[in-house]
Amino acid sequence: MITILVDSSFRDLAVGIANNDKIIDQISYEAWQKQSELLIPELDNLLKRNRIERSDISSVMVSYGPGSYTGVRIALTVAKVMAFALDIPLYAVSSLQALKVGEKPTIVLINARSERSYIGVYQGATVVVKDTIMTNNEAKQYIAAHPDYVISGDTDYLGIEAVKVNPLAEMFSLKQHISPVKDKLGLTPVYLKE
Amino acid sequence: MLDYTFKTHAQSETTGFGRFVAPFLAVQSVITLSGDLGAGKTTFASGVATGLGIHDHVISPTFNIMKCYFNAKTPLFHIDAYRLEGGNKDLGLEEFIEGNGITLIEWPEYIDTLIPANALHIVIHNLGGDEREIKVSTTNSAFEKMFKNMKERYQ
Repeated sequence: MITILVDSSFRDLAVGIANNDKIIDQISYEAWQKQSELLIPELDNLLKRNRIERSDISSVMVSYGPGSYTGVRIALTVAKVMAFALDIPLYAVSSLQALKVGEKPTIVLINARSERSYIGVYQGATVVVKDTIMTNNEAKQYIAAHPDYVISGDTDYLGIEAVKVNPLAEMFSLKQHISPVKDKLGLTPVYLKE
Repeated sequence: MLDYTFKTHAQSETTGFGRFVAPFLAVQSVITLSGDLGAGKTTFASGVATGLGIHDHVISPTFNIMKCYFNAKTPLFHIDAYRLEGGNKDLGLEEFIEGNGITLIEWPEYIDTLIPANALHIVIHNLGGDEREIKVSTTNSAFEKMFKNMKERYQ
């Protein structure tokens, strides 16, 4: 049971392979504005070095946003095409939930630019606050009001320290809790900006 | 508010003004370029590119919406919002404008919500023939030195 995991929703590119319930190999690094060039070659490398054929792949998992406009679309496009071409299930999760810290209540933040933040609050598979967009001041107030929550995401722009997580591992931990996307080709990125 | 208006009398002077501006730009500098078709916005942009050490041929990105020049110490992003009039502005352009380069924006009025308050505004008027009136303004005090030099150089 091979699952391909893909996330390029923000600055990084992460591609992984899971066998049954365990991630067996992955790459992850900063690839701002280069994700489109690197995703396919990295996926190809991973499959080759693990001697996995396309016919061995039984599902694909991806994050659908919010995040970088282009980044979200790159991973989503590749995942949708794979799921369609190989006729296999597609699993999709919020890119903020993919940054949760295990089972701890986590406030996840990503820079939405123009002084705004994408914010979502998660405890494991449970959605505490649905992904939304706030001004940076509102986000800071929310954080101040919830001192018992851990902070994750890319928070340098707020001057706040975040817990670093492995997005593919967090994403993969959600697979058992969700159903495959019903309309694979109809899946659209979540952008949250009007 | 910094504000200055002067005239140029040849296309090479508009390019030259672009080269003059380039050294005063830094990461996340934004210049808006206004003026009618043929006023010289792209001519100015090519001067900026040269000044930044970019030797690619600069053409108007009207059809592409954005062209990126990465072969420089600071990347240059050249946006032409002409085709975004009344349309969907959500193209992720803010990731470039607030990114790691310098951004030139033609037809800024079509993406006004994405223009930062500290932008440098340049308006070029075609006075006929090769004569152009160039209006430069900004509220960004980081450009004070540029305005001082500009007033000495362009009279």
